[in-house]
Amino acid sequence: METLTTFAQLVAGGLLTGLVFALVALGLTLVYGVMDVVNFAHGEFLMLAMYAALGLGLLGIDLFAGLPLVAAALFLFGIVVYRVFVRRLLAGPPEATVFGTFGLLVLLQGTAQALFSSDYFSAPNRPLQGTVHLGPIALEQSALAEGFGALVLTGLVYAFVEYTESGRAMRAVAEDRIAATLMGINVQRINALAFGIGSACVGAAGALLMLSYPVYPTVGAQFALTAFVVVALGGFGSIEGALIAALLVGLLEVLGGFYLSPELKMVPVYLAYLAVVLLRPQGLLGRR
Amino acid sequence: MSARPHLIALATIVALGLLYAFGSKNAVALDLVFTLFLYATLGQSWNWISGYAGNISFGHAIFFGCGAYAAALCTNAGLSPWLAVPGGALVAAGLALVTGFPTLALRGHYFSIATIAVGALVDTYVRTQGWLGSANGFELPIKNGFAWLQFSNKGPYVALALALFALVQLATIALERSRLGYYLRALRANHAAAASVGIDERRSKLLAFAACATFAALAGVLYAQYTLFVDPPSTLALSISIDIALIGVVGGIGTLWGPLAGASVYVLLAKAVALRLGGSGRGYDLVIYGAIICLIAAWRPHGIVGSIIDALRRRRGALEAA
Repeated sequence: METLTTFAQLVAGGLLTGLVFALVALGLTLVYGVMDVVNFAHGEFLMLAMYAALGLGLLGIDLFAGLPLVAAALFLFGIVVYRVFVRRLLAGPPEATVFGTFGLLVLLQGTAQALFSSDYFSAPNRPLQGTVHLGPIALEQSALAEGFGALVLTGLVYAFVEYTESGRAMRAVAEDRIAATLMGINVQRINALAFGIGSACVGAAGALLMLSYPVYPTVGAQFALTAFVVVALGGFGSIEGALIAALLVGLLEVLGGFYLSPELKMVPVYLAYLAVVLLRPQGLLGRR
Repeated sequence: MSARPHLIALATIVALGLLYAFGSKNAVALDLVFTLFLYATLGQSWNWISGYAGNISFGHAIFFGCGAYAAALCTNAGLSPWLAVPGGALVAAGLALVTGFPTLALRGHYFSIATIAVGALVDTYVRTQGWLGSANGFELPIKNGFAWLQFSNKGPYVALALALFALVQLATIALERSRLGYYLRALRANHAAAASVGIDERRSKLLAFAACATFAALAGVLYAQYTLFVDPPSTLALSISIDIALIGVVGGIGTLWGPLAGASVYVLLAKAVALRLGGSGRGYDLVIYGAIICLIAAWRPHGIVGSIIDALRRRRGALEAA
């Protein structure tokens, strides 16, 4: 009974973590789907968002009021990065996008370290620090808020991509760039929009994560690595796939961390990535 | 193109380097020269699989680590670290074959992310193994003499790093003119077309991967005997793999002299940053590297040496047209 309760507790925690992974991975898979770019600096965008949320917190703006501000700021940041930088990478050889976004990762991490040092900072006066009891399961309020917040935002982005004119244009570009151009879609505009929305996803995720995580210059790495795995597992470019894969990865990480040991928690995740790309390279729900 | 100019250039570099190694008493400068040739060796090793073969790896440090750990284990067991030269090389080549067999067929970012995963798994494995020093690593006992690959001054280390660089550079000159070299470049340019003329992708890439893992392991042995300290963050971590890849990219991937150019930029910057801004702990070095990589990726995607080659080709083309 004891072990069963523990297991249920872990599953609940894993699923809530997975929902946050889904929001982070959504940004990555959206950009990949539209322009075939794996943004290696995705985790660093998340890190920037967390510092932004921290800064707003220090100004007295609480995390929930700050969330839309941070998401909007990251949206603009994403558009600028696309217009100034990523667009040029796309014109170069295929490996340029890998190096270029990797360079961006190094640049952003270094900048954060130079500006804010390597210290860990937590948001001041974090709300929702209690626990909620659901029968025998105790859940942190912050984890619940993060999970459900991420779920709602993921749903919003999904609805945007599925049901709006711009979303349709995005899917058209993802499917066939040349045909989309011939239909009068401005591919550069759609690419910039996708990059902006992808960045806004981590913007919102970063604000949510400040409910329970501290921020430091390399905080993005663990989330980004997990997001790569999630996106590969779900199938590069697939939104539904990313959501399912994120829940799976959340479970794997939490269960692995508990039953193996905390420092081994990423091992099942990496093994899952290798197994998927080797055995089913298109991912669970990927095209091709 | 004939190999002669390259051989003359290499001989000149080795001769000047040896003169400096045994003529200079400046320990700081010698340390820089040692680091330069060690990194150039690692960059060239990476260049085989990521430049010539086109599989961009972010996990190359694990092969470097094989050599470093082999040297540490040997020296601590009272054995000569020279045993780690074949030992570490064999382990590295074996690791390259085992991890390369399934992953080398992956393309683009699928391969790159797989190398991050493999690197992290190796790093995690070492951290959990007591006989490998766990997360704390090893200090190597201080010995002296050629048999222990330890010297009281830096000159011999610089000479050994030069020798290793020369060896790898000669191997690369040979690779560029060999059947394997042509196969790799053909696979990189168009794997389907290469396969259709009968090039065995897996076999060619595995050969290159095992060979370059061996070079990285040799660099690892030398590194361990030089610093006398080996732990996961300094030999196996993702950040080391990234440094190696950056050297290759900045210099120009798939070019013979790119890694040396990339390592020069890297070492000079590291030094300049440490001198001007006081230590590398504040991240200024990362800001500058990151900015350079961004600029190169967006405006000069063929790197320093690649851009020079492009410019020379254009000039030659213009001359011939005139």
